[in-house]
Amino acid sequence: MGKIIAVHSYKGGTGKTLLSVNLAATFAKQGKKVCLFDLDFRAPSLFAILKIASAENWFNDYLNNTCDINKTLIDVSSRIPGKGKLFIGLANPTTEAIRDMSAKDRKWEMRALGRLLHLRNALLNEQKFDYIIFDTSPGLQYSSINAIVAADLVAVATTGDRSDVDGTSRMLKELYNLFEKKTGIVLNKVLDYNSESRRKELYDRVKNIYQVPLLGIVPCFCDILRAEGNFIFAQDKPDHPFSTLLNEMAKKIDANEVK
Amino acid sequence: MCSTTEQQHQVEIVSKEQVLGRKPVAILEKIKDNLERLNEKMEVIIELQKHDHKDGPQPLQDAPLDVMTLLSMPDHLRKTAMTVCRSGRATADEISLQTTRARAVESAYLNQLVLMGYLKKERKGRKAYFYAERESEVET
Repeated sequence: MGKIIAVHSYKGGTGKTLLSVNLAATFAKQGKKVCLFDLDFRAPSLFAILKIASAENWFNDYLNNTCDINKTLIDVSSRIPGKGKLFIGLANPTTEAIRDMSAKDRKWEMRALGRLLHLRNALLNEQKFDYIIFDTSPGLQYSSINAIVAADLVAVATTGDRSDVDGTSRMLKELYNLFEKKTGIVLNKVLDYNSESRRKELYDRVKNIYQVPLLGIVPCFCDILRAEGNFIFAQDKPDHPFSTLLNEMAKKIDANEVK
Repeated sequence: MCSTTEQQHQVEIVSKEQVLGRKPVAILEKIKDNLERLNEKMEVIIELQKHDHKDGPQPLQDAPLDVMTLLSMPDHLRKTAMTVCRSGRATADEISLQTTRARAVESAYLNQLVLMGYLKKERKGRKAYFYAERESEVET
């Protein structure tokens, strides 16, 4: 039985999309059948990273109940080496669509939750997908909380920033715990990560503050900044330390180490 | 071959069975159904008193069961409501299997959610089904 992972964060700019795309590519490289959805309807970015200018049907259309989920899926498996499968569902980046998604009422959001929950049956059970990954928008947005409720695991991207640490701690208590979600922390953009003592110090600090399993610590790689969103590291630079870290995270998720 | 008197006797026996057998069973089933309904209502009252419902969400008509509503619910009701959302449509028995709480407890919480306007209840034969909203069931 496959898993649904929601990649979420308290603040923006913590590396959710980078993590989502690369985690999806890592799973696909390992031979898994993966589907990645852009649920950041206020600031869609997956279309730009994957260089797909237009789609016949957007993920918005599925949530609006105007098309079947299969019509929103774009097969990008040919970009990934190996026998794995990678599909994506994009959020519509037009201003009109962003405005439309921002104006939805509670009843629509309730139906959207129903449609997200339906993906478990439609994709995991019927089409035997191994993973569904939701790239969400930061904070307490309806679309993000819907994704969290529908997910089996929440991967929370956070940095060492004081307000981020504070907000993430609150979300753990007041959001993920209330929905009884398995949660794993990814500490991103870490500086001075070379010595063993520094690694241990960070590991202990994260465990102490958040008291949930740690999925991984990602150093602040200049290469990632230099790439300017033009590479999918797991696919284009498989030997890069960031790709190695993603392999380790994928292994932990696959082995159900986040409880 | 049966004689005419024997045939008449058989008809009489069947007619007695109808009166003495089938009708009382139907009456007993009706009583059992009514008792079950009464029991459900009692469970709701007990649970409402146990959790001091005045502090919880107030009853509403057709209130949408969205995630913000789920977040604002007391823990015991959130668990039941979320299980219904995941199942789409389920009986108290099915919900209790997933939450690992007693069927009677789930039945009380489900009925409480119906009273609050978050869930709908539909009877089919002897079973009562609970669901959030028909339109949330996806037709694909």
